[in-house]
Parts: sequence; structure tokens; C-alpha cells
Amino acid sequence: MLADAIAAERFRLSRDRVALFWGFAFAPLIAMLFSIAGDMFTRAVLHRTLPGLTTDLANRAMGAVAGASGPFTALFLLIGAAAIFAGDYRWETWRLVTPRNSRVNLLAAKLIVFAEVAAWSLLLTAFTAVLAGLFGAAANHARLVGPPAGPAFLSQYAGVVLVTWLEVLLIGALAALIGVLTRSTMGAVIAGLVIVFVQSTVSVAVQAVTWKSLLIPAFAGRVLKTFVVAPPEVRSDAGQAGLALLFLLVWLVVLAGGALALFQRQDLTKE
Amino acid sequence: MSFALEAEGLVKTYGAVRALDGLSLRVPTGGVFGVLGPNGAGKSTLFRIALGLVRPTSGTARLSGAPAGQASSLRRAGAMIETPRYPPYLTAREVLRMLALESGAGGTADINYWLERVGLGGAADRKAGTFSVGMKQRLGLAAAFFTRPELVILDEPTSGMDPAGIQEIRALIRDLADKEGVTIILASHQLDEVRRVCDRVAILSKGKLAAEGDVEALTGGKPRLRLTVSPVDKALAVLGDKGQPDGPNAVLADVLRAETPALIRALVEAGVEITEARWREADLESAYLGALEPPKNTFGDLVDAR
Repeated sequence: MLADAIAAERFRLSRDRVALFWGFAFAPLIAMLFSIAGDMFTRAVLHRTLPGLTTDLANRAMGAVAGASGPFTALFLLIGAAAIFAGDYRWETWRLVTPRNSRVNLLAAKLIVFAEVAAWSLLLTAFTAVLAGLFGAAANHARLVGPPAGPAFLSQYAGVVLVTWLEVLLIGALAALIGVLTRSTMGAVIAGLVIVFVQSTVSVAVQAVTWKSLLIPAFAGRVLKTFVVAPPEVRSDAGQAGLALLFLLVWLVVLAGGALALFQRQDLTKE
Repeated sequence: MSFALEAEGLVKTYGAVRALDGLSLRVPTGGVFGVLGPNGAGKSTLFRIALGLVRPTSGTARLSGAPAGQASSLRRAGAMIETPRYPPYLTAREVLRMLALESGAGGTADINYWLERVGLGGAADRKAGTFSVGMKQRLGLAAAFFTRPELVILDEPTSGMDPAGIQEIRALIRDLADKEGVTIILASHQLDEVRRVCDRVAILSKGKLAAEGDVEALTGGKPRLRLTVSPVDKALAVLGDKGQPDGPNAVLADVLRAETPALIRALVEAGVEITEARWREADLESAYLGALEPPKNTFGDLVDAR
């Protein structure tokens, strides 16, 4: 059953502390440390606090989450994803596990557990951003302020988290497909990183929102996030955002479905 | 009659290599069934197909009546394929815990019991990746048995173990088959192990079934007394239909152990000189080698050709 496979995968990942730390905790923690170091450096250089400084913790958290699908974070997410999806090839443990459950369940469980741990990682990103913001506010005597959007902020924040989570799931599904295809953790990390880097570089160069440009996941994600955080009066066409969401979901289904289809037909001769 | 494993016209090719070449085999439920064959005969491929690790090129395989590789059949089976490997970050206990969760069977009590039974009670909380080959084999056996399966497939179960461990595992396998009714299919290169443990044997050669039958039938039945004698014809005359020549200066006597003193006395009285008398155990090696096609271009052939 799928529930059994999920429980086993969850248990297993909980014991793989190296993958958990580097894949899902390191990027938020290092971002926090850099932020704190930056604040300390500024304070040390200026020898005084700037009057009228404010810190918007909510927006800091949202900004940190929005950036959690970028190439830097993707490198670490790919390390975690590769451990989940290609670890059984690396350790030659498919022969231990495969006779216990169906192949679809085994890989689907990995995708679900990756989605879970990615969500926790995004929460950690938001939390560490708040901690860093609090430190910065204390160090620079900045006044804490609420988000300008007021109560609407919560829906904006939820939208950004969901869109970023969807982008992160795409990174996981990509690692799953490449991991199954290459049967290698390094292959999943390196090839995955190249793809993420190329598409995010291309997405920066693209300006016009067309159905072709929305096929680039990083660009579609950016269009969606801009739509979500924009005030209603300046929001762009909802149709474009809808198409961006649709394309992201199609990518997710294609990558995850491809990994599942490939794994189901794969001969495990050595593993 | 029900079958634990049925293979019908099984073919598996890897590029130009034909690992299985139309293999048809039926393993009856109950007892211990041995699968013998040289390296590359197709034993591991057969097991991998049965467990759904590899897809056959053509032909069918069924495990406990259900198509091989399906969850319904796998739930009733346990397996250890080749030298088992484990995620290096899991302890022996955690490996079994993970497999218990994966299959939805086997509780903490089963895990503790089997770790003790295979002799890993003291190493249960050590990382399995640091184990010796023999300890990995023991953990693999615990993993194969702890969910109380009806059928267990073991590929070289005692490889890498010390002699005491081998004896222990052989006894365990026989015990599970005899007392708990588990059907065990095992592949081994150790003919002595197969002869001691198995009820029936199949010999594979080049992906085909070369021979199959009861161990006793394949080995020529009960042990026989081999006598090095002179002259051979006089000894054969004394033995009558119970004797047959075995080389230029020996005979094989098909007698009971209790008849040995009387037989030797009769031979001596008939003027036969006996220089050696030895019981020859049922000989699986001869059956095994006889079933295999002679290898081509062996080192010996090359030397002969020169």
C-alpha cells in the first residue's frame, strides 16, 4: 500500500541526517547567517544606527520564501532530492526494497515525502528570515512594522508559499526523472542543476509574457508570484497567471509521470 | 499440486547476451528447492524476474500462483538476492524497521526475535554498512524471514560466512521448511550445501533447465561402498548384481553399512586383495557436471590443442 511506502520513506529520510541537513536545512540556515553577518558588518562600519530604520518581518519572510526556488537553493534541494530518488541506485538497495511494495508506490512515496520535507524547508526559510530580521532590527535599532498590504498580506503570503512550493516540487520531480534515468545521485544533482540554471537564466532575459515564455518554469513562477503579490488595482491579466499555473502543473505531471513510467519498466539488474 | 514458482518459456536477453533461454521450471510448494548452475547460468536472473526486479523478454513467471512482481504475490514472499546491501545510515534494527513499514508486516517483536535468531542481537544497533559480508548475509536472512512469508528466495545465503555460521544457517533453513512449512528456493554454488539442505534440485545451464529431480534420484540414491581391489573380475563375481566396476582397479558395492564386514570377509575368502574400502556419499557433483554441457575453448582445450 502507498501508506506503507510513505511511512517507510519518511522513516528512512528521518535517519538520513546528512541528506536532511544539506538538502533542506542548510540553505535557510546559511541565508540567515549571511543576513546576520551583513547586519553586524553594517553596524560595525557605520559605528552608529540610522534613524528611522524599519524592519518588516512579514515581507522579509515572504521575500525569503519567494527566492527559495532560485539556482542557489536549487543546488541544495537537488542534493536532498538525489538522496531520496537516486539513493537506492547508489547504495544498491532496490533489491532489498522493491520486493516489498509495488514500484508505483515506492516512487510515489518518494515524491510525496519530498513534497513534505520541501514544505518544511520553506517554513524553515520563513522562520530563519524572521529570526534574521529580528536580529537586524535589534542590531540597528530598527522599528518593527507590519506589512503594507495589511490583512491581505496573509493571502499574498500563502500564494507565494504555494507557488514556490510548486516550483520546488518541479525541482524534485526533475531530480526523480534524472535520477531514475541516470541511476546516479551525482547525475541527478549535476544535470538537474544545469537545467535549473539554464532555465532561470533564460527566464531573466525574457520580458514579454507569451504562452511560449510561460513554458519556462522559472518565468511562469515569477509571473505567478508577481500576480499574487500585486495590489488588485495593478494586477496583470489573470489569464496569464492561470496559464502560468497550468504550465507549472503540466511540467510537474510530465516530470513525475515520466519518472514513474520509466521506473516501472526499468530492469534492476545490479541494484 | 500447487507451485511456489512457475516459469514458462522464460527468455531474458541483455543486448546480445541470453541470460535465460526459454526456461520452464515448476517449484512445488513445501520443502527446500535448490537451483544450481555455473556463473551466468541464469539463476539470479530467474530470481530477479520472480521478484519483479527484472522484466522477462518473453515467457511468463508466477510466484505463489500470481504473476511475478505483483504486490499480491510479493507480500507472501521474502528474499535475499546476492550479497545484500543496506543504506549506510541505518542500523540493523532500523533496516528491519524500514522493511516492516514498507511491507506493512512484521512488528518490533519479530524484529528482535529474528535479530537474535540470526546471531545479530549484539550488533542490532550498529550501522549495517559497517558489517562484514557474513553479518550482512545474516541480516539479509533476517530481512527475508521476519515478516513470516510463505515462500523465501535465497541467492547464495551462506556466501562469506564462517563454517560455524554456514552450519547454523543450513540448520535454520531446514528447520523453517520442516517445522514452519516455509517453501524455500535457494541458489548455491556449494553442492554439498544443496545436497544436505535441499529436497529437490534444478540444474540450470546457459539459461535452460539441464536437469531436475529429487536430490536422491539425481545423486544416484544411497551411498555406496568403493573398494580398491585386485583382481576386479573376481571381486565382481563375489558381488554379483550388487557390484559394478569403477575404474581399472575398483568396484562399487551397493550394500548396506551393516553388510560391510561380511562382504569384506567373503571377498578375502575368495582371494580378492583389498587395499582400500571407503563409503562414497551420494554424489551431486557428478550429477551436476554431467548435466552441464562441456565448456568450449577452456584452458585445458587450448593446452591440448597445442
